[in-house]
Formats: sequence, structure tokens, C-alpha cells
Amino acid sequence: MKGLIYFEDVTVGDTHRFGHYEVTREEIIEYARQFDPQPFHLDEEAARRSMFGGLIASGWHTGAMLMRMVCDHAIPGSATTGALGFDDLKWLKPVRPGDILSVETVVREKTESRSRPDIGVVKIESRVHDQRGETKMTLFSLVLYRRRAASPPA
Amino acid sequence: MKYWEDIKPGDTSTLGSYTVTAEEIIAFAKKYDPQPFHLDEEAARRTIFGGLIASGWHSCAIMMRLSVDAMRREEMAGVGSPGIDSCRWHKPVRAGDTVTVRTEITETWPSRTKPLGFVRRKAEMLNQHGEVVLTVIGVGMFSRRADRLGEPPPKARRADQLGEPQPKARRADT
Repeated sequence: MKGLIYFEDVTVGDTHRFGHYEVTREEIIEYARQFDPQPFHLDEEAARRSMFGGLIASGWHTGAMLMRMVCDHAIPGSATTGALGFDDLKWLKPVRPGDILSVETVVREKTESRSRPDIGVVKIESRVHDQRGETKMTLFSLVLYRRRAASPPA
Repeated sequence: MKYWEDIKPGDTSTLGSYTVTAEEIIAFAKKYDPQPFHLDEEAARRTIFGGLIASGWHSCAIMMRLSVDAMRREEMAGVGSPGIDSCRWHKPVRAGDTVTVRTEITETWPSRTKPLGFVRRKAEMLNQHGEVVLTVIGVGMFSRRADRLGEPPPKARRADQLGEPQPKARRADT
């Protein structure tokens, strides 16, 4: 890797695959106790009687796991400076204990900031897959990248 | 128990409050978002944020907790969510902030294949200064009243009553 990847270096269509996140029962329950205490995230027995047929991770937990994989693999080497948010998140299939998650990202759009000449917004589609290649969750993040022109030479 | 039929476009509510500690911000970040401005007060002071801030996914998690607590209090028959239309992190949530959530139901429609209904909700998180820090527009699923399931499904309803709804985040099976 040579130098940081700035807004100018990002091209629509760029695709990356990364991450290996093993989802455990303990972590699903721990997250749910703190942030999403619904029966199908908390309790195996109650979850079996629900429409999900077994314990599943909170959708927001899956989002957090995606963020962890992005932090470990995508942010290092990139001149990113946070995100505005995301659009069109879909929880397509439940995430269950034993699932191994990975990520596929595709750059979909680039927009120069109107208010901040040092920043550009990159719309990145993220797809979270499991070990069988099934897609669990998709979303479109609006990531802020610094612009090379505005940054001091490295 | 409150079912899908009991939720109407235009319904608003306020969802309690949550005080965010530095310890909780750091613990969440260590697990899910280990960037300097979420992990370490000193390092955070030197970033554009000028101090420790919560991961955006942590803010969303807190919004979820306040929502689940409210659903339990009001005994609402929530059964999950197919997705989120949009999420915007407008301002940082900082250590010591006390946040609350204001919600408005904008649209409801029944599932064509399951004894469920869908509800689109706009939720705004505000800090103790009254600033909106987070907006999430998303869809929730709720059980329908068993005693009405034999009737033809009611029509979709929207707060502004303009035409047919065009729900975006929907399950393929509905």
C-alpha cells in the first residue's frame, strides 16, 4: 500500500472483499441485553417459538459487526473522516450463532461537498455475506473522504 | 396488547432518556468501532471532533434500546424490521450527553401474505441542548389482531393521505 487513499483516488465501481467475523451465541445475547432486549435476540427457547425459529442477532448488532470489519480492513489506508449516515438498509436474512460474516463493498457514487472544498462524499454499497454466500444485510453508506488537493503533501 | 391496527399515521411519542457515559462509549468502540475519536479522550481531543464521541452505530443502538423499552411499556406486538430507509448522524453524541427520542408514524400498510402489518416511523434523537443528533426513518413489523384476520385487509394509510404508498424497505415476501 503506497500512501493514503483520498477522494480523488476512489473510482466508481471499485470493489473490495474483506472480513471474517464469527458470530457467537454469547455475543448475540450480550448485545441484546444492552441494546435490543427482544425475546428472539435474548433467549433460545423464546426465539424457537417466534417466527424466526431460533436465536437471531439484533439487526443493529449486524450493523455494528459490519462497522468492526470496516474498521479492521477498509479504514486503515483511507483518508476517511467519518460518515454522514446510510440509506436503504435491508435486513434480508437473520444472522444466527455460528454464522461467519464477511463484507463486499462497491463504490456507487462520488460527490464533491458544496460547503467544504476539502471533503468529498462517497456512496459505498456494503453487502454482508455469510459462510454460504447468502446475503444477510445490505446498505449504502455515505462516507466522507478528504481531498488530496486540500491536504498537505505526505 | 397493542397491535398493528392500533398504530396510526400521525401518532407521535417521546421515548424516555439515556445518559451516555465515557466508559460506555469506549467499551462499545473497543468491540465495534475502534477509531481514536471513539476510544481515547486524549487522542479524540486532537481530532476534528475535539473530544470523545460515540460511534454512530452506538447512537443507533441507544435509539433501539429506548424504542424497545417503550414497546415493552406499551405492550406493542413488535416482531422485527425489514430495514431502514435512511439514517443521518447530524452531530456527535458526547460523553455525559443525555439523549431522548421523538417519533412520528408516517405510514402504515398490511402484509399481503402474513398476519402482520408494517409501520414507517421517523425517529429523531435529541441531546440535552435540544439539538437533533440523529434521524432514522425505518420500517417496523407488528402483529395484527387475530380477531380481524378473517376480514379483508385494510388499506395502507399515510399521514399526508396522498395516493398509494410506495414503501421502499420491504421484505420480498410481502
